[in-house]
Amino acid sequence: MTAVGLDWLRVRAIARRHAFVLRRSPHRLFDVTIWPLVDTLLFGSLAVFVSRRGGNGSVAFGYLLSGIVLWHVVYQSQIAVSTGFLEETWSRNLLNLMVTPLREVEYVAGVALFGMVKLAMGVGVVALGAEILFAFDLTRLGWQVLPVAVVLLAVGWVIALFVIGLVLRFGSGAEALAWGILFLVMPLSGVFYPVAALPAVARPIALALPTTHAFAAERAVVDGHGMRWGELGLAGLTTVVMAAAGLVFLAWMLATFRRRGYITRYS
Amino acid sequence: MAAVLQAERLVKAFRGTPAVDGVDLRVHAGERVALLGPNGAGKTTTLLMLLGVITPDAGAVELMGQHLPAGRSAALAQVGFAAGYLPLTERLRVREFLTMYGQLYGLAHPGPAIAEALERFRAPDLAEAMGTELSSGQRTLIGIVKATLHRPRLLVLDEPTASLDPDVALHVRMGLLKMCDELGTALLVTSHNMLEVERLCERVVFLSRGRVVADGPPASVVATFGRADLEEAFLHVAGLSGSAVVGAQETDRPA
Repeated sequence: MTAVGLDWLRVRAIARRHAFVLRRSPHRLFDVTIWPLVDTLLFGSLAVFVSRRGGNGSVAFGYLLSGIVLWHVVYQSQIAVSTGFLEETWSRNLLNLMVTPLREVEYVAGVALFGMVKLAMGVGVVALGAEILFAFDLTRLGWQVLPVAVVLLAVGWVIALFVIGLVLRFGSGAEALAWGILFLVMPLSGVFYPVAALPAVARPIALALPTTHAFAAERAVVDGHGMRWGELGLAGLTTVVMAAAGLVFLAWMLATFRRRGYITRYS
Repeated sequence: MAAVLQAERLVKAFRGTPAVDGVDLRVHAGERVALLGPNGAGKTTTLLMLLGVITPDAGAVELMGQHLPAGRSAALAQVGFAAGYLPLTERLRVREFLTMYGQLYGLAHPGPAIAEALERFRAPDLAEAMGTELSSGQRTLIGIVKATLHRPRLLVLDEPTASLDPDVALHVRMGLLKMCDELGTALLVTSHNMLEVERLCERVVFLSRGRVVADGPPASVVATFGRADLEEAFLHVAGLSGSAVVGAQETDRPA
């Protein structure tokens, strides 16, 4: 069955393979249970502390907890696709896949499809942790949080494309980026604060990131001002631009991988 | 007979070191061909270019009537590949592994094909084993089963029996010959086991330093080099390439 250029049988085969990986590697559950819970505890406690200081503390409480829940949409979608690909390099499975009819877009779609399960688990843990530990109910923000989450989901996938491209080009040395790149994106994205809080030198970079605009739109909802559709539109637009750049970059790195015969690193 | 694989003037160099230097190769439907040569002759690089995994610096590949790289996916749907050095996908049972690859090759319900392929290579008892529980020989065997699930028109095997016991290697050889006879599958195989090549292949192509130095039926190639058998012919070619003196220098592997 082929639709939108994808063979769904192949997409499902890849998704199923990664479901087995998670099922049979309990330590992989850390990414979708323990770390989300640690983040909830850390930022939730920080939120409580700040809110008890008075002033605009209650606003900060909402920023911190809604921010960490939505940040995990980026985190989980990015990590699921990046580590899904890394799994193929760790198990020297790349050549096995490259000699099948599987196309690159089908592979990414398969990993992303199963990544949705991990995303639901990871974000569910954070949202539930925020509710149980800090009485923060994300659903009170209403449906308006959904388009923000969709943009953040897409951004996570796009960041993963860059990570995969770098791993194809630089090999295992670039693996650390799967986790490390998010430590760069997070502070620049204004997950918990407006861009104005960043040092002036960092603001232009921050404004170029779709996540910055998505979180700005989300904070307006937290503030009770309703959705800032302009910010969300900007987030969507920059995501499309970033996705185009990510696809071009990945195609370039894949061509380099094939031209230089880097497959021998994994066979 | 129509060609299932046609490569013209393939050239590949890694960091300025030539690995493949103008290889022409044509494999016809149902033909069983061995690609031979000492370590560093360019066999694996050639195979990987023929499968579209490595991009040649020059030359063209037509696989199953599809020009690479554009027609790679369509072509590979009719090709199987296994290599003695490839592991099984981790954290999967053999049946799960074969199901996954069956689906990648377009089999919506691969169960019967898995049972048939396991039976063909006398390995049905391995179906429920975890990949990590298998010996290297068993993993190689399952890799070959995987490559034949979808009844490919061309089967490419890189050192398929390198880690197999003689009796298992015999089963593999018998299974391959049976499949080729029944389905008309063409075979392109690399091996350092000349006895196996003589029993399995009707044509040998010798590579030395990335070039084809002989191409024809085994007896004819042996006669070309004035040797007693294929083993001696191989040693002769290895001597020509210098690898018998300097050992296994892997010039076909990029740094």
